[in-house]
Amino acid sequence: MPDRPPLPLLRADALHKAYGSYHAVRGVDFRLMPESYVTLLGPSGCGKTTMLRMIGGFETVSSGRLELDGQSLLDIPAPRRPINTVFQSYALFPHLTVEENVGFGLAYRGRAGLGGDGRGLDRAAMRQKVATALSTVRMEQMAARRPRHLSGGQQQRVALARAIVNEPRILLLDEPLSALDRRMRRDMQIELKDLQRRLGMTFLHVTHDQEEAFALSDHIIVMNAGLIEQQGAPQEIYRRPDSAWVADFIGGSNVVPGRVLALDAGRARIGTAIGEVTAPARRGLAVDEAAALCIRPEQLSREAAAAPGAATVEAAVTHAVFAGSGWQVELRAAGGQPLSARLGEAPAPGETLRLAFDPARAWVTRGAAAGPRA
Amino acid sequence: MSRIGNWLAAPVAAVLVALCLAPLAVLFAYSFFQVDFVTISTDPTLKNYARIAGSATYRALIGHAFLSGAVVVAITALIGYPVAWFIARRGGVRKSALLTLLLVPLYTGDMVRIFAWRVILGAEGVLNRLFLWLGLIDQPLQVLLFSPVASHLVLVYNYLPFMVIGLWLGFEALDERLTEAARDLGAPAREVFRRVTLPLTLPGLIAGGMMVFVLVVGDHLTPQLLGGASGVTVISAINDLFGTAFDWPLGSAIACTLLATLGLCCALAAFALSRTELGRSLAAGEA
Repeated sequence: MPDRPPLPLLRADALHKAYGSYHAVRGVDFRLMPESYVTLLGPSGCGKTTMLRMIGGFETVSSGRLELDGQSLLDIPAPRRPINTVFQSYALFPHLTVEENVGFGLAYRGRAGLGGDGRGLDRAAMRQKVATALSTVRMEQMAARRPRHLSGGQQQRVALARAIVNEPRILLLDEPLSALDRRMRRDMQIELKDLQRRLGMTFLHVTHDQEEAFALSDHIIVMNAGLIEQQGAPQEIYRRPDSAWVADFIGGSNVVPGRVLALDAGRARIGTAIGEVTAPARRGLAVDEAAALCIRPEQLSREAAAAPGAATVEAAVTHAVFAGSGWQVELRAAGGQPLSARLGEAPAPGETLRLAFDPARAWVTRGAAAGPRA
Repeated sequence: MSRIGNWLAAPVAAVLVALCLAPLAVLFAYSFFQVDFVTISTDPTLKNYARIAGSATYRALIGHAFLSGAVVVAITALIGYPVAWFIARRGGVRKSALLTLLLVPLYTGDMVRIFAWRVILGAEGVLNRLFLWLGLIDQPLQVLLFSPVASHLVLVYNYLPFMVIGLWLGFEALDERLTEAARDLGAPAREVFRRVTLPLTLPGLIAGGMMVFVLVVGDHLTPQLLGGASGVTVISAINDLFGTAFDWPLGSAIACTLLATLGLCCALAAFALSRTELGRSLAAGEA
């Protein structure tokens, strides 16, 4: 007998948020599986923070359903939701010590409501929980300090401890790493992922940084203009973007606009400025529809090294940057189509190269102009 | 650098000494003099202070002044919190408009406002007529005017803007995300106010409270014109001593006693506050 699929922890159906005539979230469906790390990825203004605030209870839902463990959240005010947030600016209480900040929510544990067992915690149990949470984020030495005397990274850790100490069903993280420098951000990404695994908690993380989303997530929800463009595993989104917009936003990919010429068993023949190519394609394309060919920079190589059956393209070098493991080369192909490639050797500026790629590893997706939202 | 700074601060210090400390010093010196028929003898004596200590009337007047101040501070704080919060949460033009509206009554002058209230509260006044017309009462309420109720009502009305300004500044400095974080952590509204809003707006409350307290203690017109028999205040007593009675030394002594009591109360309040969690966090916030 096959295992039944686990029930979703959080369910959003046709979730909608309007501010007057402005629609921030325009009908969104998704599931949050237990113990998963999910990111809401999108450019600023795409509605991802509004989504997070609706789940946290800080924005009312205009229409649609939002359920936690099969129970509607819509009539439950923020303080009674078993959900905690790590705010973008951390929002630590400046007048309380680290210890008092972390213990803040424990006073209200066990209040009637979702996840409450009707019993409060005694002082000793509270102190124990605070100490455990602080050691989880390696901040036990700082317990008596005030937030202003901590660095950005330390404040971040306290904000995390303050949220996880309440053992929420879902931890919401609103661009938690955006205030940190690059190196610190890397370290915190690893710590966040590690923490989520150790605690077995469900994290929902909002970010506009693709790399961050890829580094952390089991599941990525890509949002644009209040709608979900695509959701799935990071590799899925990277390799098979659902639209030219996703390919472009995820970045790192050459997106060449074109038109579908023929379709056959999961492959499409697409006519573009750099020639006609037959490549694997997303489902649901139609002949003569605007489409886009996605080729990742590392798939482009000098023709000499190409395998048989490779497609070729001629392009002039406009710019080359040394990128450690190779050269990041910007080129311009026929019709002014910009391309970027990752090559082992430095090309001469202005040199025209014949580049090759394996069409079987390229991807044809919906064109930028094809969707209802450009 | 700091030497230059000291010199630059010198004019300010000079002005403070000339305009604040010197008059107080004169007042303090006078409180040890004595009226000798129609002249003032400068032989130092403690008789004035002895008279104050021995007089139930003066002690009661000082006590009443403090009680009035405390009551008006408490009432303006209760009314002021929601008002200040409301103003602080408005944007741009609306906020400016509301703040201006708040201050408009102050431009009309004390006397105009007091007489306007007499029209409202009098036996033949607006309120009594309204109540009679509604059938709530059979005959005009006399307590509305010339009573402590009337004078405190108008004191609250007069000085509410100062409290609101103080609290508004407190709310401007309060990051709204902190109250959101408190809600996120499960705190019900009452607890959010007690543990986050109140401690973080406390500097505004103290600033507003100090202004209102000092203004109420110093206001003798309102009680005199609206308080009826209860209208004698310590300030009007000092006024009378300096004016009609020509007893400057006793007047000075009462003024000094008032100041000293005020200082003592502030010190006690500060000490009491420093013993609470709220006060410690406040002190740390300013460190």
